[in-house]
Amino acid sequence: MTETCIDPNKARKILERYPEGDASGLIHALQDIQAEFGYVAHEAVELLCEHLNVPISKAFSAATFYKAFSLEPKGEVIIRVCTGTACHIRGSRILVDELCAALGIEPGGTTKDLKFTLETVNCVGACAMAPVVSINGKYHGNVQPGSLTKLIQDGK
Amino acid sequence: MTTEKTISLEINGRFFQAREGMTILDVAKREGIPIPTLCYHEALESVGNCRLCMVEITHPDWKGWKGLVTSCLYPVEEGLQVTTDNKTIWNTRRTILDLLLARCPDSDVIQKLAAEYGVTVTSYRKNDVETKCILCGLCVRVCAAKGANAISSAGRGIEKMIARPFDQPPPDCIGCASCAHICPTGAIEYEDTPEVRKIWGHSFKMVKCESCGRPIMPEKQLEFEAEKSGLDPAYFKTCSVCSQRKSIDTIRSAFDMKAVGLGEPVEVAR
Ligand code: FES
Ligand code: FES
Repeated sequence: MTETCIDPNKARKILERYPEGDASGLIHALQDIQAEFGYVAHEAVELLCEHLNVPISKAFSAATFYKAFSLEPKGEVIIRVCTGTACHIRGSRILVDELCAALGIEPGGTTKDLKFTLETVNCVGACAMAPVVSINGKYHGNVQPGSLTKLIQDGK
Repeated sequence: MTTEKTISLEINGRFFQAREGMTILDVAKREGIPIPTLCYHEALESVGNCRLCMVEITHPDWKGWKGLVTSCLYPVEEGLQVTTDNKTIWNTRRTILDLLLARCPDSDVIQKLAAEYGVTVTSYRKNDVETKCILCGLCVRVCAAKGANAISSAGRGIEKMIARPFDQPPPDCIGCASCAHICPTGAIEYEDTPEVRKIWGHSFKMVKCESCGRPIMPEKQLEFEAEKSGLDPAYFKTCSVCSQRKSIDTIRSAFDMKAVGLGEPVEVAR
């Protein structure tokens, strides 16, 4: 795991919003931590478990179960290429290859400078505009190979 | 007090009585009717993970409908007709074991079970990852029942595994090794010497019996057990054999029964 430090006070601030000892806040709190730090930091999870009185094993299980959580720091720009059936048929593979080559990473990877993370997802529910690429949560439809460089620049 | 309802059901053409709330497997076990299981343990809640305990059920009122259910989860009902072995069940179990053998080709337990259903070589692609874990989840459940909650499953789908949180020695592990003992395939490794127990990346110092000196349990487990039970930690510092011997002596002297044989102490796992 990459060693990075998070600000524990920021994590505490997030946790204040959740009633102490109430395990039902687990997923929400993990989401907030993911949003704040860009990943589910170990130190933050320790604070969370103490606050919500949840075993660390359970929090780890949830954090690894959902794709929305990442245990590694992610890039500033998160590019998700849909590889669902519709997008696959309309050439999402080419887009993935293009991005891998341009960024020098594999799907799931993050560039060393923590600028870009590339992910593939299975159907984002916008098949009519396949192939779909989302950049920092913004959807782009009918993406043509070659147009990605511009999209990335815009997403920055 | 609620009076418990008695239920009659049929298993393999024979009639049995059961208490409401029992599962088909409970009745079958009581009656000595064999049903293979991997993820079941009588002390823990069943979850139906392994699917090996499948049986076929039907009912006179179901207009000929029949189906496969996991016997470890299915509660008995009045008039239920259960079959524990036929071609469909056999094929289902065979497929499950074929898949398990693909996942754990090196597990002797799975090899043996699969062979009973005629599978000696899996017909699926073998797992590239070396593991004996069939993901039955017994270790996680026993750890939770113990109250430690040190391990859990991580990931999902084909990447799912039983893991240490953040890949570090689990901070909540007390070293009881219940997980290793309950594992049906022996997938969890640990190492015991008279001084230490090594498990999940921890090295736990063992407590020794104050009377005979044999290792009892890790120090951390002893603290945990004492706190959980509210008993004096000293209670745990005598091994099961020595503490039985002590009680036998107490009873003997109290009743002056020197001559009465109370039997020899037996070792009890804690
Ligand atoms: S397959 Fe890509 S949006 Fe449905
Ligand atoms: S024993 Fe019933 S599903 Fe495993």
